[in-house]
Amino acid sequence: MADTNYRCPCCRKISPDPHDLARHYLGQTDTKHKEWLKTKGHSYAQLITWQVTEFGNKGYDALAEVLEKEAPRVEA
Amino acid sequence: MSEYSIIGKPTKNVDGPAKVSGEAVYTFDMTLPNMLYGKLLRSPYPHARIISIDTSEAEKLQGVKAVITGKDTPGGRYGLWRRFPELCDQTTLAMDKVRFIGDAVAAVAAVSTEIAEQALDFINVEYELLPAVFEPLEAIKDDAPLIHDDCSNNINITRHVEWGDVDEGFKNSDYVREDRFIYGNQATASTEVHNSLASYEKSTGRLTVWSSTQSPYYLQLGLSDALKMREGDIRVIKPHVGGGFGGKNSTMPDSLNAAVLSMKTGRPVKIVYNREEEFTCTERRTAMNMAVKLGLKKDGTIMAREVKLITDGGAYTALGPTALYLTGTYASLPYKIPNYRYDGLRAYTNKMWATSVRSFGATEAGFAFEAQMDRAAHDLGIDPIEIRRKNAMTPGYEAPGQYSVGSCGLSECIDKVEKRVKEKWTGLAEDEGVGYACFDYQCGGIFNWIDTPYAFSGAMVKVNIDGTVDLFTQASDIGQGTNTVSVMICAEELGVGIEDIRLHPADTATTPVDLGAWASRETMMNGNAIKEAAAEVKKILIRVARLKLAENIVYDFEAKNKRIYLAIRPERGFSYYDIVKDAIKENDGQALIGIGHYTPHRKGMVTPAWAFGCMASRVKVDREIGHVKVKEIIVAHDCGQPINPLGVRGQVEGSIHLGMGWGLCEEQPNDNGMILNPSFADYKVVRTRDMPQIELHEVLTYDPEGPFGAKESAEGAVAPTPASIANAIYQATGAEINSNTLKPEKVLNAIREAEKKKPAKR
Repeated sequence: MADTNYRCPCCRKISPDPHDLARHYLGQTDTKHKEWLKTKGHSYAQLITWQVTEFGNKGYDALAEVLEKEAPRVEA
Repeated sequence: MSEYSIIGKPTKNVDGPAKVSGEAVYTFDMTLPNMLYGKLLRSPYPHARIISIDTSEAEKLQGVKAVITGKDTPGGRYGLWRRFPELCDQTTLAMDKVRFIGDAVAAVAAVSTEIAEQALDFINVEYELLPAVFEPLEAIKDDAPLIHDDCSNNINITRHVEWGDVDEGFKNSDYVREDRFIYGNQATASTEVHNSLASYEKSTGRLTVWSSTQSPYYLQLGLSDALKMREGDIRVIKPHVGGGFGGKNSTMPDSLNAAVLSMKTGRPVKIVYNREEEFTCTERRTAMNMAVKLGLKKDGTIMAREVKLITDGGAYTALGPTALYLTGTYASLPYKIPNYRYDGLRAYTNKMWATSVRSFGATEAGFAFEAQMDRAAHDLGIDPIEIRRKNAMTPGYEAPGQYSVGSCGLSECIDKVEKRVKEKWTGLAEDEGVGYACFDYQCGGIFNWIDTPYAFSGAMVKVNIDGTVDLFTQASDIGQGTNTVSVMICAEELGVGIEDIRLHPADTATTPVDLGAWASRETMMNGNAIKEAAAEVKKILIRVARLKLAENIVYDFEAKNKRIYLAIRPERGFSYYDIVKDAIKENDGQALIGIGHYTPHRKGMVTPAWAFGCMASRVKVDREIGHVKVKEIIVAHDCGQPINPLGVRGQVEGSIHLGMGWGLCEEQPNDNGMILNPSFADYKVVRTRDMPQIELHEVLTYDPEGPFGAKESAEGAVAPTPASIANAIYQATGAEINSNTLKPEKVLNAIREAEKKKPAKR
């Protein structure tokens, strides 16, 4: 939706789409970002491992799916 | 470039005579009255909790004046990435646990080194051993032991860069290849070990530290953070330095503990690492695991490139994230890449931390890129030099959101090397090969991870009544010739001789801030600051000359060869010395002072300018035993306007030496975190007699950002050295080698693999 942005569930970052937010998210190495994913049944380590070991954006794609469902929306 | 009277003229180092005669003083040489000698007790375990430390027996030893543990220190956390507090993960001594074999847990000050060493044996540390982790991909697993309690998954930092449409780029490629490269650590192997002398004045609460450092300012900040003192109460002086090579940017336990011991005893304290400590407990090149994917059209045009990188950070942060950042940048040069993606991760492990050695990031990225270019050229039936020429960066190129290229003589460098190879290397012997590699290097970094509000470089020029000049700069000469370049730039701008300049270098109390010697920044950044400072004084001199000449038209003046004169009528002018006297009189008797500074603006995120070049190596391979002999190297180098061609040659030759070391023989194998070759008996470096003949060509360009058009020359030529050697082996034998070091057993195995696949190439 063009008029909806996604807010990072762990900080104030706002992104226009979940892929962009996923890039932000995996760039944060603080505990808060890592732990939130655990509460949703995912592993930060697994996602970042995919991203840095396999060609393509597998880590971002997988995280974007999670954020699409879980990240709060804010109006643009 | 005959318009210059000093710039571009081969000039011997201004401090050369002092160095070769023994007159030059290094920190290592220094003593102070009443000085004590310090030593550090280090952890024998890669990961353990400190239960208790009993220093009472050591304190009883005759001659011991102080013993300290983490509890005796101010306890401040410090690091180079000060902009991110969570990355400031070091303390003066281990506070609660040790994280690598060699972590400092206690320090002793005694009346002699021998007694201090003896006292270490009397310190009783009780440890609780913790599980350790030594591989990055193991370290980031959810169930891995935590090295820093506040950093889950041991992920120190990550980095993502992307431009264009990478997936579409690969889709539109005719040829795609994937390769994986593994790189090991490299020690700096500096002649002068880490050492510091600290003197604390109890009456004023001020501290002075002399140290073998690459950056007095960074050391001042590190001491300030760790000791919880004001920056201004800490004076750092850098005497002559016997090599740094990237390993002396950080604040290290030698300076910190010498300072704390001096505070405790009220006497100067000096700590000197021994060679084993130098190999096992000082910063080194980062080990990497790099996967690369390259897509090209049939004609060799690059369509897309993707890089995945995991670096083994070791126990602490220091400058390590910069290695992660820079490798991602260097993997996108020196060829035009319309679609690029990079993902990098630096993990903590229970090993000595790894950061930077000369040309870090560029060497590793270059090895992979250049290998792929040769292999792709072979598979596509394109000449290796043609594929490079086709994709070479050109002036004005931009990497979206990252960096831009100003001057660029890469194509000219390729042409020059090709021409000389064809002229010189006709008729290769059996099992000889010629390998090519292109390169680039930054001229300082536009990174402010240190979080300074100051300009990146500053300088001050004071002209005295007799025309002599005092030049104050914090730029760090660590053997690379910065002192000479500084003096040359100042002399050229003022129109005086080198002998007129007295340099006052690298003292935080008397010189404006400079960020130090890293990323080949001193000529560009410090040079610009000096030029600006000198120009400010020159402006005063010209104003006085103009008034004195009383021309009715405003003409341009020049200051050159100790005269100030009309540019269009050089015979009409005055002696520099006479004008200085007049100017000081007119200035109410004050000496003439100029101040200059430099910080890059609107130059992207990486560097204000790029140097470029092309190298060819001629190599002979012994197919029976896998031995590689580098016979000759031809290199064409675009460093803009060389300030000191003699210094440039020295830097290029030194870069080739270090690059050969990384490529051929330098490595640091470890067993559960213990480095296995901590001596020059076991750590092999390239010796003088192993060096090839080197033919150097400077391709002159002019970069408007650089002082007099100058760019870097201190590190660029490291990267293409191992890459061109590996490519020469490939051309001679078909062997594809995807790691340093190119030791005989590895080369032999690669040759056998190649022979299994197909006949030898070309």
